[in-house]
Amino acid sequence: MRTDKTKKAQILAIDAGGTMTDTFIIDDHGDFVVGKAQSTPEDESIGLLNSARDALTYWGSSVEDEFPKLLAGVYSGTAMLNRLVSRNGRRVGLIVNKGMEDFHRMGRGIQSYLGYSYSDRLHLNTHRFDPPLVPREWTKGITERVDLFGSVIIPLYEQEVEPAVLELLKQDVEAIVISLLHSYKYPAHERRIRDIARETIKKAAKDIPVFASVDYYPVRKETHRTNTTIIEAYAADPSRETLAKIDRMLKAHGADFDLRVMASHGGTISTQANELARTLVSGPIGGVIGAKYLGEHLGIRNIACSDIGGTSFDMALITQGDLSINTSPDMARLVLSLPLVAMDTVGAGAGSFVRIDPNFKSLTLGPDSAGSKVGVCYPEGGLNTVTVTDCHVILGLINPNNFLGGEVQLDPDRAYAAVKEQIADPLGLTVEDAAYGVIDLLESQLRNYLESMILGKGYSPSQYVCFSYGGGGPLHTAGYTKNLGFEDVLVPAWAAGFSAFGCGAADFEYRYDKTLDINVDADAEDDQKLIGGRELQHVWDELMEKVAGEFEKNQFDKEDVDFRLYFRMQYQGQLNDLEIEAPIKTFRRVDDWDALVEAFEATYTRVYAKAATSPELGYSITGAIIRGVVEVAKPRISEEPSEGETPPADAFLGKRSVYWKGEWLKADIWEMEKLKPGNRIQSFAILESPATTFVIPTGFETYLDAHRIFHLKEL
Amino acid sequence: MTQYDRKTIEELIDGTIDFYKLKEMLSNFKDADRFEKYISILQERVKWEDLILLPAGLHLYYVQKPEGSRVVKCDCGHEFCEAGDNWKLHALIYVRDTPEKLAELYPNMLAPDPKWQVIREYYCPSCATQLEVEAVTPWYPILQDFEPDIDAFYTEWLHRPLPQTKS
Repeated sequence: MRTDKTKKAQILAIDAGGTMTDTFIIDDHGDFVVGKAQSTPEDESIGLLNSARDALTYWGSSVEDEFPKLLAGVYSGTAMLNRLVSRNGRRVGLIVNKGMEDFHRMGRGIQSYLGYSYSDRLHLNTHRFDPPLVPREWTKGITERVDLFGSVIIPLYEQEVEPAVLELLKQDVEAIVISLLHSYKYPAHERRIRDIARETIKKAAKDIPVFASVDYYPVRKETHRTNTTIIEAYAADPSRETLAKIDRMLKAHGADFDLRVMASHGGTISTQANELARTLVSGPIGGVIGAKYLGEHLGIRNIACSDIGGTSFDMALITQGDLSINTSPDMARLVLSLPLVAMDTVGAGAGSFVRIDPNFKSLTLGPDSAGSKVGVCYPEGGLNTVTVTDCHVILGLINPNNFLGGEVQLDPDRAYAAVKEQIADPLGLTVEDAAYGVIDLLESQLRNYLESMILGKGYSPSQYVCFSYGGGGPLHTAGYTKNLGFEDVLVPAWAAGFSAFGCGAADFEYRYDKTLDINVDADAEDDQKLIGGRELQHVWDELMEKVAGEFEKNQFDKEDVDFRLYFRMQYQGQLNDLEIEAPIKTFRRVDDWDALVEAFEATYTRVYAKAATSPELGYSITGAIIRGVVEVAKPRISEEPSEGETPPADAFLGKRSVYWKGEWLKADIWEMEKLKPGNRIQSFAILESPATTFVIPTGFETYLDAHRIFHLKEL
Repeated sequence: MTQYDRKTIEELIDGTIDFYKLKEMLSNFKDADRFEKYISILQERVKWEDLILLPAGLHLYYVQKPEGSRVVKCDCGHEFCEAGDNWKLHALIYVRDTPEKLAELYPNMLAPDPKWQVIREYYCPSCATQLEVEAVTPWYPILQDFEPDIDAFYTEWLHRPLPQTKS
């Protein structure tokens, strides 16, 4: 047994929420401690330091002892998102094409119902547009027009720029964003406006930043591009100072690494990165990154990730070792042009409210949830509506005295009374049957979501290994994977901290995208293929310079960077493109073009069907992508020798009555931390750890492997 | 069971309710006692004593007279007609059927052609409150928006007896 003295802190992962700052410190055995402290929005570094101190008390150690041992630190926080959601950012001025001044405030129709449940999406009365980030008064038009081919239709009226900028300055804007139609095709006009704006600002003896959309997101779809560039100016850039302060604080306490920030594309980036807006959405993707890392280590290529928290069920697929990326995601009810790890989320979690539909007398779950208020069983939460957690307490699946490591004391009698009054009596059921019915309904809903997500993408669960994590995941793993036929079902023993583990496991990686329109017909001559390929290579070069420039800020040479080249391709005239890793390192010859096409058709066959390939339509390259990665320290995955199938006696905590399928059973209760590799646990069993509960119901068994991962087997 | 306090329902009637609160109400199951609360607020706000059975519009109500008859009544107390009759035929009607009259409402060149569409405005003869506006073809009959079966509504939907008269 290792003692706390020999602990070697390795990775620091920070999750700074609106109220609490969590820190996860992972050692070289994959063990981790979690610290919590009140967030300090005025100087986040204070809350972070308190949180880290709290974490290290579990190891009997201190920040001064452990920080110098750390190899890496990754930050993810909600400060930026809060600034955006509460419309509390900078005063931003916007310069667009003359005559197009209203497009930002009109937005896209979908923005009126983003984030809504399915029933609300259908219910038009609920739709509503939020006030725009930049009001109409701070939007100025400049005469110019470029068409979709990138040809100048109306030249830039340069003389209009200075008066427009001066007017914005008079209105006291704190930043200026420039976004013109089709600028990704012809960046010169935006850059000219940018330069004139900077001169004008200088002449007016002011100092405010100017953001041209092409310098950040040279991609199609002006609403997405403009929203994203505005967020850069409005919410992201102001966060830079906060991050720098945290970095200085860490270094002052002996840390010898540059703080990195979790970004939406699944990598981490420097606090000095050009495009900081992509760190806005980082929390939920941590687990997917962790699953990818673990999968690489274990040699698992296809993974179905599933994460149940209190409010939502998040699913993602890793196919052939690759995450899929959504290039126009939404966040805070805005459509954006950021690359985001693709995830499917439904509003069903352990904290979902349970109600009886008054019209049809049927059970309904969510879509709203109790969040930190847990349920009726938690008197301090002050809730009156039954939640899924209340049902768990009644069934005996959750230990009311050991919820969140005993920090929260739950009252089973309150849960019982509430379920009786609100659910059981109206349905004419016993309280236990009603509670079981709720869990059964939740699990079958989750199972449906998971299955339809995988089938909907053209795959089958039997091709995938399911990873289950999150605080509420292991409680329902058996229920929502039952009969789906996954190749294997894995539950890491550190399921509750898996997202933080994932943040710590993320690569130091930049990813830059650019829209292209390269069309090569089916019967194209070699010279056309060469022209197309060279244009692609030209953009790759441009993006590689951009990525190398970012790494230089952290003293990495271009030679240290492992560049990965991607392109997006589709058949001409089709609507959906595919993102594919290029099978070539540089484009030189006609064969290289053929290699690109071959890679595209192989992916197309995998995603759709061989019979659907349509080479007679010709090909379009719609985008170029560069991903650059440098080596950084990552959490170690523990490896312990097997100690036999019989669990150690001191891991056994006793028996507890559990209501399951109409009868009371005696379940074995085990302490998860004390189980040893190789141990096999039969049903009915409940594995408890401070932050999660793993249920092995009738018809299942589990064993712990050498990496402290549980495998759940359906018998 | 969904429940809202009286203040929320008052804000709902006045249209001053915060959108996010309204959105939550729209997304949730309907509160079982909404009708009673709603009617009681309307009843409290009118100066007369007759029992409101059902609202008939923004300022109009189907009410029950002490002797048992049902009439359409305005906020101000003006009684239009029997509940089964068309109150619009008892109101003051202003028809905008010339380009000049329509131009008072619309920006230049955006008004409809009065040969195809007219605007009919209905006013209370006592308090001159605008009760209804409709945009219709000139030959369109004067129809009520709403012809409720009050007895069926109470007995089959609300499952409760109609208010009893003293007589």
